[in-house]
Amino acid sequence: MRSLSRAPAAVLAYLWSGWGAIASLCLFAALWQAGAQVYGPLVLPGPGDTFATLSGMLAGSTAIPELLVSARRAMVGLALAVAVGSVLGLVAGLSLTASMVSRPLVTLFLGMPPIAWVVLAMLWFGMGDASVVFTVVVACTPIVFAGALQGTRTLDHQLKDLGRVYRLPWHMTLLDLYVPHVVSYLFPAWITALGTSWKVVVMAELLTAPDGVGAALAVSRSHLDTAASMGWIVAVLGLLLAVEYLLLEPFRREVERWRVTA
Amino acid sequence: MNHLHAVEAGAPTAGLRIRGLSHRYGLTEVLAGIDLDLAPGETLALIGPSGCGKSTLLHLVAGLLVPSEGTLANGFRRIGCMFQQPRLLPWKSTLDNIALGLKARGEARADRRERAAAMARWLGLTDEDMAKFPHALSGGMQSRVALGRALVVAPDLLLLDEPFSALDVGLKAELYGLLRARVAEVGSAVLMITHDLMEAVRLADRILMMAPGPGRLVRSFTLSQPQAVRSEAWIYRTAGELMEAEEVRLGFGLADARPANGWPAAAGGR
Repeated sequence: MRSLSRAPAAVLAYLWSGWGAIASLCLFAALWQAGAQVYGPLVLPGPGDTFATLSGMLAGSTAIPELLVSARRAMVGLALAVAVGSVLGLVAGLSLTASMVSRPLVTLFLGMPPIAWVVLAMLWFGMGDASVVFTVVVACTPIVFAGALQGTRTLDHQLKDLGRVYRLPWHMTLLDLYVPHVVSYLFPAWITALGTSWKVVVMAELLTAPDGVGAALAVSRSHLDTAASMGWIVAVLGLLLAVEYLLLEPFRREVERWRVTA
Repeated sequence: MNHLHAVEAGAPTAGLRIRGLSHRYGLTEVLAGIDLDLAPGETLALIGPSGCGKSTLLHLVAGLLVPSEGTLANGFRRIGCMFQQPRLLPWKSTLDNIALGLKARGEARADRRERAAAMARWLGLTDEDMAKFPHALSGGMQSRVALGRALVVAPDLLLLDEPFSALDVGLKAELYGLLRARVAEVGSAVLMITHDLMEAVRLADRILMMAPGPGRLVRSFTLSQPQAVRSEAWIYRTAGELMEAEEVRLGFGLADARPANGWPAAAGGR
């Protein structure tokens, strides 16, 4: 009941906090417009032209399916990476040996350029869905894994002792002790992984897929259509912002209510 | 299960029985030759200077450490514990923090919240406090919650690791009263650590003096007067008399140990 009565106020406060973000985006658009006026529409179409092209693309029947294909690939890959990375990172963090063994491996996998994975994926899975999703998974999992590992390692040993003295069963040790602490390390990792997933999807599609935003970008590039290219980029960024601020951020606020609010 | 480490063969022990216990951190011996018994319902205070191994001994009893040598048979099953800091889970409300031990014992949600709420009210917390997260509570409130969490499980053994040392006099007196009432009602055994002699004299049936290098028990004092009839004057007098004991003066590094001249009727030496 309490959470229901709290919800409208929380939503309003959240929306109000969006003004800062909107102001910052407007400033960015202004700089973009200035750049467009200096370099001309062939090199850098302004925000007006870009959004006009984008709305044209969205009104036609071509853009939405491409965006959906890319979104599906990014979200499937991200979901797999989040599930696998969070669980493995938490488990590895529980053991000192496992964390020592996995740390250099994380460095290795984080340092591996996604483009190299794309090449390997093309060799292993051929052209299409599997290659793109695979690349997203291998690029995002180490990010999530590192966050979960770090979170698990940093749980206050005083709280661990508390759990042992009160003889918490394993599922309580996990859900009441570790997870609430680890989540505050996982959220930033998930958001980084979200950004990475879209970047990697577009890059992998550009090279390996016949459809999706990446493939569409390849086409607009070959037509020297800068406005369309910018339109696609803006569409991807819009989706990225929507997932972060409409999905992840409200979820984080709800889960982390216990934190001291400044 | 490591709290059952090296249990002697035979029937399970009632209470706590420690024989020839030593403990080392690496090469440093922190406890040596500890023999200690704690009967059900008894309150035992461990006093001694910092670094004499009091906390280590408590951690061994709590099952957080395994003794390097010796036997530790712990027949207590419901253990409540208060640490130096409240150690509340920051992501749980006051009520859920108090109910933690009940949840660990598998009590149904409605039951445990009801019992935790009753405990919270008994400790002087309001319904509003119960819904708060720990960061919104004052230090004194947090100590109340930690006390509630330890008492609500109706512990047969209560471990106290100097939980009251940072509190003001008034709050201390109030929490002592609540603690003693509940301990008497449930019949809990208490093992408490303190370096406050007055606190030990106020609450304990028996006081064990520890000395460092390595940590060992050097003297035992039995307080014959029942807790209920102890007056402030008696507590001050007895604490003063304990301060005269050679082991206590040596242990706390007070000026030259004076010979113990005559023990009060209340405090008998071993």
